Amino acid sequence: MSLAPAIELRAVHKTYQLGAHVVKALQGVDLTLQRGELLALTGPSGSGKSTILNLCGLIDLADAGDILLNGVNIKLYNETQKTLQRRDTIGFIFQSFNLVPVMTVAENVDYPLFLTGVPAAERRERVAAQLKAVGLHEHAQHLPDALSGGQRQRVAIARALIKRPSLVIADEPTASLDSHTADQVLDLMRERGHAEGVAFIIASHDNRLTSRSDRIVSLLDGRLQ
Amino acid sequence: MKLSWLKFAFYNTLRNRRRSGITVVIAALGTAAILLAGGFAYSTYEGLAQISARSTGHLIIGKPQHFTSDQDVPLQYGLENAAALQSKLLTDPAVRYVLPRIEYSGLISNGDKSTIMMAVGIDPDAEFSVKGPTLTLKEGELLQTESAEAEIVLGEALARSLKAKPGSSLTLMASTTDGALNAVDVTVKGLVSTGVPDLDKRLVYSNIKTAQKLLNTQRISSLGVFLNSMDATLPAQARLEKTFPELTVQNWLEQAFFYKSVRDLYNRIFGALGAIISVIVVFVVANAMAMAIIERTREVGTLRAMGTLPGQLIRSFSFEGMILGGTGALVGAALAITIALLLTIFPVQMPPPPGRSSGYPLLITIDVAMYAITVFMMIALSMLSSALIARKTLRQPIVDALAHN
Repeated sequence: MSLAPAIELRAVHKTYQLGAHVVKALQGVDLTLQRGELLALTGPSGSGKSTILNLCGLIDLADAGDILLNGVNIKLYNETQKTLQRRDTIGFIFQSFNLVPVMTVAENVDYPLFLTGVPAAERRERVAAQLKAVGLHEHAQHLPDALSGGQRQRVAIARALIKRPSLVIADEPTASLDSHTADQVLDLMRERGHAEGVAFIIASHDNRLTSRSDRIVSLLDGRLQ
Repeated sequence: MKLSWLKFAFYNTLRNRRRSGITVVIAALGTAAILLAGGFAYSTYEGLAQISARSTGHLIIGKPQHFTSDQDVPLQYGLENAAALQSKLLTDPAVRYVLPRIEYSGLISNGDKSTIMMAVGIDPDAEFSVKGPTLTLKEGELLQTESAEAEIVLGEALARSLKAKPGSSLTLMASTTDGALNAVDVTVKGLVSTGVPDLDKRLVYSNIKTAQKLLNTQRISSLGVFLNSMDATLPAQARLEKTFPELTVQNWLEQAFFYKSVRDLYNRIFGALGAIISVIVVFVVANAMAMAIIERTREVGTLRAMGTLPGQLIRSFSFEGMILGGTGALVGAALAITIALLLTIFPVQMPPPPGRSSGYPLLITIDVAMYAITVFMMIALSMLSSALIARKTLRQPIVDALAHN
């Protein structure tokens, strides 16, 4: 039995109203991302990369077209169900890490499991294992402010992967990092994604991503090239 | 490591410690102000209730018309066989004293000058023992029950007006129960003050026998029943009403017009004060939460993107409000208790209220129910205001929240 794609976009359109102007962010985009696949989304600023990520992450609505998450059209979901889908099946990695500064590294990683109501003992084990996998187990009780940019992004990766999602959305994950650290982070995402069968969709200007991704998709003026 | 919403909320209150500190301090001062004002009102109510009960007795027994009708002649609706009634009343286990009283008015004269008096015929030994601090002996001695002489004590202002001192001879004049005019020569035994100058200008205490002689009767106006405790009032009233169906039994509250007026006034004043302070505290907590939420817009967007339900975030922010408001309320309660206790160690004298000649000690009652309700209300209002602010903020689209700088 073959699994449904992690995410599938069918003829998706999206426009934004900016004052008196209508901006066509996406114009009939078709895109399929299989589980375990690492897709690089490239293109100049304003090409629609972030819009695709927002739609795939169920935090924005398409004007037209269909989006299928694990084979289910998200039009069938109400707001609460979308929130639960994000909680259970989608991980997020942000350019500026977006860790909760008052939580320790372990608590940040634990948060998605806490939301899903996983028992405390299992959470402890999974957090420890995930931190070990990203090489931060010695920093478990540190606050994010005590970590370097690369370490913080690794915490964000651990946080995105701890709930074993089918899809991880990463928006410019290396933009705030130096080149050496960016290499490490990209390698880590690729390694963890393949190891755990998680689909990654990564929007980036970073050329190093192209050599590490399974597929590259370029966007220009809201259309796939 | 175990994460919980309460722990997360606690962490968040520590982000901006200065702002949280100020919020807690304002909530504490507001709570303390409410509790101190409420405690002062309670203390005043208790004091006035004691004064009222000491003045009339916890229960007052008389003929029904005594309470409802104007008399054509003195003691028209007075009680007969008071001694028998007194003995029967004393068999009730809650009854401590039963004091006969004859209220009468007339003239008091030193030979040269006559003036109006408001007199009370009493059983002196028992009556003065229950008066306590509500009556102060200024000069001379109090009356004694066994004294065979016709003696009186005067309000000090009345004595001044008549140039009377202990040992002075005066004449009491009043209408008898038959409507005739009668006079009795009396000796001044002592001078007293009730603390109410207007009352002291007219007050005369005589013993029952002197009053009955002057009014030419064996009746008394009413019996004041003093109980073991204030709490025994209503049950005792119900019992005595059953035992003496032909008589009316009123409790002290029914005759305490001053007490009721003060209570009504204070309830409104302190109620309004409490409401204003509560609103201020709620605004302060809401403002602190609003600032915190705006500062954390992107973080809230992140948490929502990660699948946090709006209800969970509202709960978290409510807990923050609860921690700030609750800490403030508890600190405020502790502050109020400390001040109330300090006032018992280092008394502060209040100036005489209008219409009185003596001040009174400032006392703050520590009422457990009032403290519990105030702290609970502070916590509830803080949680509610935080939840409302959070609810409004959560309407922002996640994409916009994530783009917030």
